[in-house]
Amino acid sequence: MSNIDRRTLVKGSLAALMAGAAFSRAALAQSSEPILLGVSGPLTGPNAQYGTQWKQGFDLALDEIEAAGGINGRKLAYNFEDSQSDPRQSVAIAQKFVSDPRIVMELGDFSSPASMAASPIYQRGGLVQFGFTNSHPDFTKGGDFMWSTSVSQADEQPLLAAYAVKRLGLKKLAVLHLNTDWGRTSRDYFVKAAKEHGAEIAVTEGYIAEERDFRSTLVRVRDANPDGLILISYYSDGALIARQARQVGLKQVICAASSVYSPKFLELGGEAVEDVHVGTRYFPEDPRPEVQTFIAGFKKKYNGVEPDAFNAYAYDAMNMAAAVVRIGGADRRAIRDAFTKVKDVSSVIFGKATFDVESRRVKGAMNAELVVRKGQFALWDGKPT
Amino acid sequence: MSSWLDYTINGLIVGNVYALVAVGLALIFGVSRLINFAQGSIYLVGAYIGWVAVVQLHTPLPLTIILVAVAAALVGLIIERFGLRPLQNSVRIAPLLATIGISFVLDQLVMLTFSPNPRALPSQLPDVRFQIGGGTIGPLDLLIAGVGLTSALLLFVFLRYSKLGWAVRATAQDRDAAMQMGVDVNRVNQAVFGIAAALGGVSGLLVGMYYNQIDTAMSLQATLKGVVAEVVGGAGNVPGAVIGSLLLGLVESYGVAVFGTSYRNLFAFLLLVVVLVLRPNGLFASARQAPPEPLTGTFIAPSRPVWIPRWALLIAAVVFAILPLLPVSFYVLQTLINAWLLGMLALSLTLVAGTIGQVSLGHAALLAIGAYTSALLSLTFAVPVGLAIIGGGLMSAALGTALISPSFRLRGHYVSIATLAIGEIVSLVILNWESVTRGPIGISGIPPLSLFGYELVSPISIYWFSFIVMVVLALLQGRLLGSHLGRSFRAIRDDDIAARAYGLSLNRYKSLAFIFGGFAAGVSGGIAAHLYSYINHETFNTQQSILALTVVILGGLGNVVGAILGAVALVGLPEVFRIAAEYRILIYGIVLLLLVRFRPQGLLGTV
Repeated sequence: MSNIDRRTLVKGSLAALMAGAAFSRAALAQSSEPILLGVSGPLTGPNAQYGTQWKQGFDLALDEIEAAGGINGRKLAYNFEDSQSDPRQSVAIAQKFVSDPRIVMELGDFSSPASMAASPIYQRGGLVQFGFTNSHPDFTKGGDFMWSTSVSQADEQPLLAAYAVKRLGLKKLAVLHLNTDWGRTSRDYFVKAAKEHGAEIAVTEGYIAEERDFRSTLVRVRDANPDGLILISYYSDGALIARQARQVGLKQVICAASSVYSPKFLELGGEAVEDVHVGTRYFPEDPRPEVQTFIAGFKKKYNGVEPDAFNAYAYDAMNMAAAVVRIGGADRRAIRDAFTKVKDVSSVIFGKATFDVESRRVKGAMNAELVVRKGQFALWDGKPT
Repeated sequence: MSSWLDYTINGLIVGNVYALVAVGLALIFGVSRLINFAQGSIYLVGAYIGWVAVVQLHTPLPLTIILVAVAAALVGLIIERFGLRPLQNSVRIAPLLATIGISFVLDQLVMLTFSPNPRALPSQLPDVRFQIGGGTIGPLDLLIAGVGLTSALLLFVFLRYSKLGWAVRATAQDRDAAMQMGVDVNRVNQAVFGIAAALGGVSGLLVGMYYNQIDTAMSLQATLKGVVAEVVGGAGNVPGAVIGSLLLGLVESYGVAVFGTSYRNLFAFLLLVVVLVLRPNGLFASARQAPPEPLTGTFIAPSRPVWIPRWALLIAAVVFAILPLLPVSFYVLQTLINAWLLGMLALSLTLVAGTIGQVSLGHAALLAIGAYTSALLSLTFAVPVGLAIIGGGLMSAALGTALISPSFRLRGHYVSIATLAIGEIVSLVILNWESVTRGPIGISGIPPLSLFGYELVSPISIYWFSFIVMVVLALLQGRLLGSHLGRSFRAIRDDDIAARAYGLSLNRYKSLAFIFGGFAAGVSGGIAAHLYSYINHETFNTQQSILALTVVILGGLGNVVGAILGAVALVGLPEVFRIAAEYRILIYGIVLLLLVRFRPQGLLGTV
């Protein structure tokens, strides 16, 4: 840590105590240092993989922002604090960010307990908590400083239900879902929409995140005799279920939520994920320029590695942050207000993202209907499998 | 009806997978009386070495297995030589804690080398499948079963008929006597660790191939399931571990069949508790085996506690009390709030583990009970927050004691395993009891802390509130320990047979300790719930229980001031290492190992 840094830090914490936000704003305006965002997320612990994926997405976006001249000439940077997605650590990080005047807004955390435990601190501290993987229905109810670009499951699941029931003609469904707040909320929206389309839900099974063995669950599914399996899973558990479904002799059509969209899904699932249908927010062959720029940039920066959904969320979140900071400047409150003003921000997930001021979320996710063919995701050509 | 055949086959298949880990655990327990929490990490290391061999070196399967076995055995030898042998003559709990530290270090090293992204580990066996019942089994299923059964059989023969095997068994029965008879105990230990680690590594490889998936988070689950299987079969009994694993697999599979997937692990841990209650040494404990831990006090280090003068404590209390008036950042205050909350939990655990000798690995369950009770009381019944927190404490005291009471007749490591299971059961009940706990959605909108109508929302007021609560609890506990009751507690810890002979009712005193301890932990959980405003079943997890145990051992068992000091240190250390980002848990693990190595009786010593 350089001298200047330390001095600003000491000055900053004194400022927060003695004169509150006004003083710190003045201190910031004078500095020529980068505009700093705080990130609270997992770099170690069981969710560490998502934190590393975030970093990749952030760094790519920052490269592009800097190449385009930064934020009114200033650099944008972030300070990534490892929370392990543990609420005890995320609240401490929240205090750290709130009392650090250099931080103008916060991104994260990953899981709902870690994010929502920190929300009251961000709300009281007047620092925007911008959660981009927080689909818990109550996340943005934490206050007017909570904003999210995480696709509301109320938006996404009906699209998946339409794909499965109307397009693929599946009438009797088995739903397997991750038994977390995300999985449960998604399942409820999916079941509601599927029933509206006239499908019957034969069985729903919730499994915990650490589960590796699904064979007995799948026997239960087989006995319910559905004509399609719906997976509300992440890519690793989704791949496991698909493999084991084939091993216990299930041949039904499998249809999965966008969260399995990852090259890893193909790698981990192997032949078992062939013909799996996926409703997704983006995919590489989508001709939209937002998507193509993102994928080309990502492959170039990371030696040809294909990006996945979590990379895209992080990339979008950083771009959104830049757009908001461009309007709001380096002022925390102005940044909060800027969320109501940003319009049509270029986005991989949404095409053009604009916030719904009531729900503080973005509406209208894009949806591409994909199917795995010859080990690759491809646009579904309308032919049954 | 045909489905029952499928459930049975599936149960046996996954049971085989558990057996691979459980056999290694049983072997080590048999000789060292040690539950090796690093076994899952060796399994992880084996999986990644296998990945390098298969994907990068393209070795054929037999060579892959040999490579993994040799490399994992080396890791095992290193662990034994440098991690555990130096702890031979220290307290029983020290090597247990060391294995937890070693598992942190190994997991982090693998993660830093290979990144936390999951990888595919392709099976090197042909993908043919045989129809059995409604499902199929493949060559890998058979290989896993073969390896599990063969290794158990070989080990059995080795232990029964070879000279080194005799030495192993002699060491297991009575280490000192074996030494006097000329057995090279160190060599025996080395051999056992090498064999167990080789097995652990190969199991990681095979399980990785079975699921075509390996990731750095797989070690804790493997350890948990392996420990359950091993203890069900009778700790230290190698064939018992295989049967315990198969039984565990079957119970899980039938549990899913009858009640659905979300209850799966619930049945695994219930099985463990039932077995421990009915047969405290596991299903296949041999009748000739000496009781594993004759005295509960064997966990406790003989040491003279560091005497801290009263005035020094007073000064420390005053300094911490006026801290918010000094120019310190809210981040420091928040970190200390976390330390005070952990301190309350540690007080609770140091009372039951340190003073009365019941080591608990499921203490987070008490937090969860307190948190949910307090949150629901204030949300659903509009009870004022202050009273709701007290309600949370009382509920933890009552329910926690009731849940734990069946384990009062257990001894030694079995107590910690039973409490581990109870911790998991509470978490799974919270996940599944949706009408009350709201299941995975969790409880949001919990009102903030308040006292007499004043909301405590600023970090300073929360700091004072939690600090005062902790100090009051600590003073009460200090008073308790100094009383006649406290001496009775310690008498039970030091020699329960003598204590019983003297007329002390063990169960009644253990209950009293758990009631007080449960209250402190419940209050801590209740405050946390109002502080976070959102809780779900993952908020208070096994890692929290392990952290609490680490804190009390670090501070000195039974030592009130030590518990608080330990809490400040263990909340503070990761924060201090925060700048080290991905490396901080690695550093934390190493610091933990060094502490166990050089100060096994804790910083302030056992009281």
